[in-house]
Amino acid sequence: MTATAPALPIPKAAPTVPTPIITLRGVGKSYGNHQVLHGIDLSIHKGETVVICGPSGSGKSTLIRSIAHLEPHDNGQIIVAGIHLTHEPQSIQDVRRELGMVFQQFNLFPHMTVLGNCTYAPRVALGMSERSATALAMRLLERVRLVDQARKYPSELSGGQQQRVAIARALCMQPRIMLFDEPTSALDPEMVNEVLAVMEELAREGMTMLCVTHELNFARRVAHRCVFLEQGTVNVDAPTSSFFDAPPTPRLAAFLDSRL
Amino acid sequence: MHYDIALAWSTLPQLLRGAAMTLAVLIPVLALGLVIAIPLALRRASPGRRWIAAGYVGFFRGVPSLILLYAIYNGLPQLAGIRNGPLWPLFSNAYFCAVVGLSLTHSAYLAEILRAGLQAVPQGVVEAATALGMRPNVIFWKVRWPIAARHALRAYQNEILIMVKSTAAVGAITLVELNAAANEVFEFTYDPFTPLLTAAAIYWAMINIIRLGFDAAERYLNAGQTRALIS
Ligand SMILES: Nc1ncnc2c1ncn2[C@@H]1O[C@H](COP(=O)(O)OP(=O)(O)O)[C@@H](O)[C@H]1O
Ligand SMILES: [Mg+2]
Repeated sequence: MTATAPALPIPKAAPTVPTPIITLRGVGKSYGNHQVLHGIDLSIHKGETVVICGPSGSGKSTLIRSIAHLEPHDNGQIIVAGIHLTHEPQSIQDVRRELGMVFQQFNLFPHMTVLGNCTYAPRVALGMSERSATALAMRLLERVRLVDQARKYPSELSGGQQQRVAIARALCMQPRIMLFDEPTSALDPEMVNEVLAVMEELAREGMTMLCVTHELNFARRVAHRCVFLEQGTVNVDAPTSSFFDAPPTPRLAAFLDSRL
Repeated sequence: MHYDIALAWSTLPQLLRGAAMTLAVLIPVLALGLVIAIPLALRRASPGRRWIAAGYVGFFRGVPSLILLYAIYNGLPQLAGIRNGPLWPLFSNAYFCAVVGLSLTHSAYLAEILRAGLQAVPQGVVEAATALGMRPNVIFWKVRWPIAARHALRAYQNEILIMVKSTAAVGAITLVELNAAANEVFEFTYDPFTPLLTAAAIYWAMINIIRLGFDAAERYLNAGQTRALIS
């Protein structure tokens, strides 16, 4: 460099506090008179991967399902991509449009091929043409490394393959946020990693993800933040490093100890 | 006692006319049964107001079809309201009564078969479709129904085969179906063996044609896979 460019004033970025893509405020949920969620506050920012863990029955599934309105919450606010989730069909539909969901039991459509599983919802819910839905599905199947299985039926695939199809199927709706509820808990141990690898890739590409999982190594490696749910309350919500290395509560410390 | 081929040949047209009556009763019964059973099964498989459907299914599965046929054909005309009402031309017709009677029984059994099929659809699959933003009616017709149908197919086949044989009951209200036709030949010739064996062969042929139809349907629904898609 010979000439120094005149020092232009660097435009100062306005100190934006980014609005979270998911906000939960005081979310409560009961089944009959059994209160499962107590005033949950949680926010997730765009591009973040947040892992939720906690003992069985602590309300992890209920929490994640209430975001997709598979379980209607009783009180508090859920805001997804700026949309207030009410019990109105339009609001529910709009929120679901932003979410992709992956379940423990895969829940593929058994009477459709892998490709059919991936293209059906985009066609009927987004009005996509068969042609563009197929092109999109093949691209996403490529990403989960299952292009060669596209014409098969779910019953012909292994559990790990089925779960990867389920991920591709959710991605075909081009969601901004992916929700996972124990995606590897129903898998044989040798298939867990192939699914986690796909999820890790997705996280690295900047997808916003909320995962319920017991795979603590995955959490340590991939999550930006971890949330420890206990008896329907957020016991800990901390950056991954302090979550594992300096657990802020004795309960979390005990939980982590029991899982080592 | 021997099988009289000459007699069998000469009375074959009579038995075939009986078989035609059997089919003429069976086919509308199967169609009507499906039309009645689908809404019943939906009511039974959904929360709320289940009791009407449950009552219907409980009642018509419980009443023997023979008694039901007698009640409709011989019992209803005892009611002045029927005898003098606008429906009398229908209820005085044995064929109409036969179709109604068997449809009531068949639809009650079929409703149970369909309900069991619908309940066998994993809730998680329906939730996955919901989370994918599919509308409830799309989810019903494109996800729940096709899966339920695959579950129900075996039981439905059984029920239809039983219905084929149940059509013999309509002989009791004067319709000359296959079984009644064989009896007529017997009463005319006192040969108990030939007409009944011929009739049995015709029933057997009908049942196996239906069975082959179901096998083809099953292959189609399983998309040529060796392993059933839904077990
Ligand atoms: N549909 C339901 N009806 C009644 N109770 C339920 C239902 N679903 C979950 N629960 C109860 O809510 C609590 C939290 O369940 P869940 O969210 O599934 O926990 P987790 O996923 O953390 O194991 C448990 O006590 C469970 O028994
Ligand atoms: Mg759970």
